[in-house]
Amino acid sequence: MLRLIATIRKEWLLLRRDKAGLTLLFAMPLVLITVMALIQDAPFKDYQEVKFDILTVDNDQGRLGRYIREGLGASGQFNVIDSFGQQPLTEEKAQSLIAEGAYKISITIPKGATAEIVSNANKIVNDISKRMGLASQLPVKAVVADSLAVQLYFDPASKKAFKSAIQQALDNFLTQVQTDLLLERIQMQLKSKDSAAAQDTFPAIKLKAVGLKETGVGAGKQIDVISNSVQHNVPAWSIFAMFFIVIPIAGNMIREREDGSLVRMKLIPGNYGSILSGKLLFFVGICVVQFYLMMLVGIYILPMLGLPRLQLGGDHAAGLLTAASIGVTATAYGILIGTLFKTPNQALNFGAISIVILSAIGGIWIPLEIMPDTMQKIGRLSPLSWGLDAINDIYLRNGNVGYILPDIARLLGCGAIMLAIAAIVEQRRIG
Amino acid sequence: MNSIAVNDLHKTYAGALTPSLRGLSFSFPEGKIAGLLGPNGAGKTTTISILCGLVKQDAGKVRIFDIPQEAGRREQIKRVVGIVPQQIALFPQLTALENLVYFGNLYGFKGKALKDKVMGHLEAFGLEKAANKEVGRFSGGMKRRTNIIAAILHEPELLVLDEPTAGVDVQSRSMILQFLREYNAKGNSVLYTSHLLEEAQQICEDVAIMDEGKLVVQGSPADLINGLDDCRNLEDVFLHYTGHAVRD
Ligand SMILES: Nc1ncnc2c1ncn2[C@@H]1O[C@H](COP(=O)(O)OP(=O)(O)OP(=O)(O)O)[C@@H](O)[C@H]1O
Ligand SMILES: [Mg+2]
Repeated sequence: MLRLIATIRKEWLLLRRDKAGLTLLFAMPLVLITVMALIQDAPFKDYQEVKFDILTVDNDQGRLGRYIREGLGASGQFNVIDSFGQQPLTEEKAQSLIAEGAYKISITIPKGATAEIVSNANKIVNDISKRMGLASQLPVKAVVADSLAVQLYFDPASKKAFKSAIQQALDNFLTQVQTDLLLERIQMQLKSKDSAAAQDTFPAIKLKAVGLKETGVGAGKQIDVISNSVQHNVPAWSIFAMFFIVIPIAGNMIREREDGSLVRMKLIPGNYGSILSGKLLFFVGICVVQFYLMMLVGIYILPMLGLPRLQLGGDHAAGLLTAASIGVTATAYGILIGTLFKTPNQALNFGAISIVILSAIGGIWIPLEIMPDTMQKIGRLSPLSWGLDAINDIYLRNGNVGYILPDIARLLGCGAIMLAIAAIVEQRRIG
Repeated sequence: MNSIAVNDLHKTYAGALTPSLRGLSFSFPEGKIAGLLGPNGAGKTTTISILCGLVKQDAGKVRIFDIPQEAGRREQIKRVVGIVPQQIALFPQLTALENLVYFGNLYGFKGKALKDKVMGHLEAFGLEKAANKEVGRFSGGMKRRTNIIAAILHEPELLVLDEPTAGVDVQSRSMILQFLREYNAKGNSVLYTSHLLEEAQQICEDVAIMDEGKLVVQGSPADLINGLDDCRNLEDVFLHYTGHAVRD
């Protein structure tokens, strides 16, 4: 125990004198997460509010056109474009813009479409009135040979899913206009029959009896995984920064070998394991401090810069456990690198590049969720992704300790394996 | 009893073309200041590294105060032996006091008793004013002296020093030699290596000269000098046995 505490104290004395190391460990990560959260703010807003430009050529100038435009606009996902330059958009122009690839979708509402719908509704109402023994007086157009259709043009490169989503949305608007008009006619007819009833007290007919509602499935409040820049970037880049502890650790190990202090430690009776544990504990402690400093930036500093405030989820014990587990893996990785490499330069290069790669595939730069399937599978092998996954489970899905145990087990298991390899390699050195 | 007995030691480092030790044997009775001498590359450091368990021999036996150097007994040996490596073995970023207190802690000493002990040694080696200075900023002689203190914190019965006087000025050297005599006078055994044969002749009661991984000759400096007609000092004896060729 004395050996362990003495080692922690010694590491602290060493680190305290190492101004460059302190800066690397504490100041740089804070700058990093602030910068990453700021520059990724816009792209993250885009993920959330992907807006597609939709060219609309309204040859009808009636109610259908208005419904479609308003409906598309209201969904918040589309920008309706109905003029080009100063001119109203024509079908030819729209077609050529799609062909050029400048836009992805174009909709043409045919001339007389609303009239056709009105006429159809009138016909139904007349029909019903007649069967009910009422006089039918709504005007009906003579039968038109071709049925009118709203014309869609897609960029040939559009994905199938995208096309069918658009088609469904439009189909929805068409149905809505047609039922609205029909109900309106029926209402008119009923009113004219029952003229005694006060016009304004007549109940409006509503067709929608059952609607759709989306609810999250998390234990409590649910934030979308890639909901905002802060919620992704602060934990993600914190984990990245914590892993960078491998560089000071590897440097520390290699220096001890070079300056001979390792020899002195080995000459003293007692288990080297307790010295290594002291080192491990110390650096895990540093990692945890780093982590919470960065969380504080997410909670207090970033909101001052106009970004959303970081949400920490409900289970703080789980958060601490995760931070410590990430620290164990990162520290063990540093000890392994420090054992394997002979010079600080080799260790620095290998350490830095490997962490950048592990972080890129592990979903630190962009969330794994939006990567292709194969990349996601590869990414799940990165210890950084386990850490991030656990943090997301706690912060976004309100997970508790039980929920994150698999990730914690992976992190600690990986750390134990790396320490074992380092121990075996170090043991072989005596020979 | 012997302080050290080495029997038929063999060692070829991994990847090395030639063996570093080829059947080295010698022993020193306890309570003496002994010298292990030899040209560069003779295998002195390798022998000491095997003594303290930093390097494993390929064959041969080592006994320290009759304790065999075996896997299970290494800890026991470490408790009775103090090693001063050829290389400075200290944290350059820590002060002398911090270094020595940390190593003392690793030995299990703590608190005021440890600090007093460390300060006592620093004073004895003329380092009391430098106690709170970083070792990295020490002169060569100060580093060597601090390096020695780190090896005697647990008051070992056998002190092994690998070139403790290499690269130090006359003042530091005489202080170190004086310390070795005093430490020996307390009943402890000392084994040291050096290239300074005049120095070895002065303080060693027994010397072993080795070359190319083998013992060449062993005896007291006086006996060795008297045993050869044309030799006036230990240097002559050394050259007589190891030749004039430069080692690489
Ligand atoms: N780690 C090592 N790997 C390979 N060869 C080594 C290693 N250490 C020493 N040697 C070789 O073993 C031989 C003996 O070296 P050693 O350091 O024991 O000699 P020495 O007597 O201490 O020399 P010096 O007086 O220069 O300190 C030399 O040829 C050296 O090159
Ligand atoms: Mg040597």
